[in-house]
Amino acid sequence: MIVVRDADGNSSLGARLPRFEDGRLLRGRGRFIADDPPARCLHVAFVRSPHPHALIEDVDVTRAGSAPGVVSVLTAADRPHVPLVDAVAVPGLVKTPQPALAGERVRFVGEAVAMVLAESRARAEDAAELVEVRYAALAPVVDPEAALLLPPLDPALGSNEVYRGRRDTPGLEAAFAEADHVVSGTFSTGRLTAAPMEGRACAATFDPVTGLLTVRCSTQSPHLLQRKIATCLGMDLTAVRVLVDDVGGGFGQKIPASPEEIAVALAARAADRPVLWVEDRRENLVAAPHGKEQHVELALALDADGTFRALRCDVLGDAGAYSFNSASALIEAYLAAGLLPGAYRIPETGWRVRSVLTTKAPIAPYRGVGWTSGHTARELLIDRAARLLGRDPVDLRRQNLVRPGDLPYTTPTGMTYDSGSHLATLERAAKLVDAADVVAGPTADGRCRGFGISPYVEPSGWGSAGAAESSWSFASHDSVRVEMAASGAVTAVVGTPSQGQGHTTTLAQLVASVLACDPRRVRVVTGDTAGTPLSTAGTRASRVATVIGGALLQATERLAAKLALVAGHLLGVDPAEISFRDGRAVAASGSIGLAEIATAAVADPSVRAALPEPDLTATAFYDPPATYSNGCVAVVVEVDPGTGRVDVVDAAVVEDCGTVINPMVVDGQTLGAFAQGVGAALYEDAGYGADGSPRATSFADYLLPTARCLPRVALEHLESPAPHTRGGIKGMGESAMIATPGAVACAVAAAVAPLGVTVTHIPIRPDELVAPEE
Amino acid sequence: MSPEDPLVRRAADAITVALTVNDRPARMIVESRTSLADALRDELGLTGTHVACEQGICGACTVEVDGEAVRACLLLAVQADGAEVRTVEGLAAPGEPLHPIQQAFTDQHALQCGFCTPGLLMTVHHLLTERHGVDEAEVRTVVSGHLCRCTGYQGIVDAVLQADRAWDRTPGDRAG
Ligand code: FES
Ligand code: FES
Repeated sequence: MIVVRDADGNSSLGARLPRFEDGRLLRGRGRFIADDPPARCLHVAFVRSPHPHALIEDVDVTRAGSAPGVVSVLTAADRPHVPLVDAVAVPGLVKTPQPALAGERVRFVGEAVAMVLAESRARAEDAAELVEVRYAALAPVVDPEAALLLPPLDPALGSNEVYRGRRDTPGLEAAFAEADHVVSGTFSTGRLTAAPMEGRACAATFDPVTGLLTVRCSTQSPHLLQRKIATCLGMDLTAVRVLVDDVGGGFGQKIPASPEEIAVALAARAADRPVLWVEDRRENLVAAPHGKEQHVELALALDADGTFRALRCDVLGDAGAYSFNSASALIEAYLAAGLLPGAYRIPETGWRVRSVLTTKAPIAPYRGVGWTSGHTARELLIDRAARLLGRDPVDLRRQNLVRPGDLPYTTPTGMTYDSGSHLATLERAAKLVDAADVVAGPTADGRCRGFGISPYVEPSGWGSAGAAESSWSFASHDSVRVEMAASGAVTAVVGTPSQGQGHTTTLAQLVASVLACDPRRVRVVTGDTAGTPLSTAGTRASRVATVIGGALLQATERLAAKLALVAGHLLGVDPAEISFRDGRAVAASGSIGLAEIATAAVADPSVRAALPEPDLTATAFYDPPATYSNGCVAVVVEVDPGTGRVDVVDAAVVEDCGTVINPMVVDGQTLGAFAQGVGAALYEDAGYGADGSPRATSFADYLLPTARCLPRVALEHLESPAPHTRGGIKGMGESAMIATPGAVACAVAAAVAPLGVTVTHIPIRPDELVAPEE
Repeated sequence: MSPEDPLVRRAADAITVALTVNDRPARMIVESRTSLADALRDELGLTGTHVACEQGICGACTVEVDGEAVRACLLLAVQADGAEVRTVEGLAAPGEPLHPIQQAFTDQHALQCGFCTPGLLMTVHHLLTERHGVDEAEVRTVVSGHLCRCTGYQGIVDAVLQADRAWDRTPGDRAG
């Protein structure tokens, strides 16, 4: 990569630059979906199932339809369409088509049955209460183990199991047979939900003259949503235009198309007015896709000296009511198994993966996807092994981590770690929280202290190769366009919206690093499928910095080459002599500003006479090779043995995502994911009662961590540039959410081990930590 | 549907509320059940005030009413009749520099998606109007009345500490 420095040798790359998007958001001038309803729009309220599982016998909308302000009430029968289905091609994976509105059967509490369109949301909600649905209740399916024995949610499928797979390395059995120790355990991760502060929302407008359906949506993947809408509605791709403005958080939940979004599109196509849906918090908690729920059985084979020989897992994923249209039911259990070895050298692995349907909200990606559960289980097991062998948990990990000399290192599950600082990040994290000083067991005030450490690998920056190493064949590439206006300002056009990651700033820094210009001269434009180049996968999988970033570096280099041609002509030098510095094209004999070059390219006839195509637009396509970031999370907790209250009192994250574009943004992503990880370990629970009803229906039940639940986190960055991606960039947005729950769970387990209490699942409830009565 | 039907009665229900918003007089016509948050957004176009739970839990909708930080989703618009309301749009006029609290938020990377931010700014504005020389523990306690899903709060805490130092709260200072 050419990174051209300014006169002081600085580059915009790596600068702790405050974000360009902040001013608007701080002044209350953001543009979230509810902030700008289309003129004359109809407001939607969905009628949702109160039953976890029931047949729909009748839906009577008569009373609702004549309520004040109501324009229409739609049920499944009113708008035939192609149901949503995932696009994953893995042998043995069963498809579970999902309609926009349930027609014959409801499969979770909150599933939409009818939609009311009215003059205001309040009117629509009033009328939704008047829709009379007659249900014939069926038995809920809550326990995933029992799901295999219960009648299928979809009779056409014959079973509630949607996937079963098995993959062992050839030496697995021998390794277990020869091992000096085998340590095993069963662990589980509860249901979580992403809970973005802006819930799901969209506004759809249909123009019957042009046949164009325009959908403004709070989504992470505009091109993917465009494909889903076009498929479900039987329209051409180009007849569907998806727009995205500000998105109030996503964390994976807004990757897939929501059935409600399809319902809104269907309603708008038939209405002569735009249709707006903005979900409320209850809808978001019960009806938006959840994340994580998994049950993991693990066995680790070790030599007497603590060397890891083999690791075997049996993972059962609870997919909820449908194998969702994001990445299917495999997004959890299958990915957990793929990252089974984590950052360790483990020569043999074996995995069994099952995924089953239950009467719960479907599972979709949530930051860290299945990796969080697998990672948490493995780290708890390693600590258990350390206790059994009488080893220090840091030292046992140090002994088994991937070492610099092992790189590139290929895991038995098929991932090739291209580079990294696995040992160095462990040592730094342990030092930052003074691991050596943390003595497990009661403190002076009777609380139990515990230390937990959790070194991680994040499969990051997914292009198609990365996706294939992690899971399945998956188109995951992007194109971008970079153009310079006659003013010398640059526009970078990309297909990946931001949900708070600061792309407007970081991508501008990348472009500016090539042109050696001020990043403020680069405007990043996104959020319109009619105008942005294709991003097949959108903003997910920590991929934007790598894939979009790499594409932008190349497109900007192409633009720079065009600028050099014009500058060479204007300065009368060979274009090969031109370099860029301080916003100018520089040759030995003189220099010229970017604005002058750009103006001449448009207006100077001599340029047009000399150069066949003096346009200042460049495009690039990028589908990067796989790359892996790494790092380590360490925490210290204190547990009150009387109440079971856990306080995280110290924490450190040392991360390595290769070339850092903006360390402030990396810090922000790390801290946000760390907080979510603490929430996953200690507070957040979107579980279901035995009767199939969701326990969390408001933020009073679904407990997000607050500022008082979190310690000040020490952060450090190490940089091992990716050897094969453009710019050495890796992704990093999910790392702390993969590793933090494990660190916290290990710390709590260490704290309460002297009391005879074990930790086998997250979230850890206080009552489980209170020492059993003698 | 009979005129006694509550839905019909609600439709007929329209009340005029007169108040001061960001130092300017404002009038809005609302149903009695309309929250102040919805009224500010829908009637006055002040969409900087966000709603994320409508149950008084998350703090996203926080505005100042007669100098107190309140959750605008829990107050009916009619209850704000005659009140002085300040919203995020009233911290710094367009074209003016950011308020020192807003400046601190961008300096300290205290926002990502920005959805929770306006409510936090109003709570912090209220806190720092009343208190000078806050420490981290106090800031964490006050900020814990707000939910932010993106930042992990560390940047927010640092921003409040910066704003406490940077904001000159001598009388007459803007929006003080
Ligand atoms: S919207 Fe008012 S507190 Fe959440
Ligand atoms: S910045 Fe996104 S919720 Fe706070």
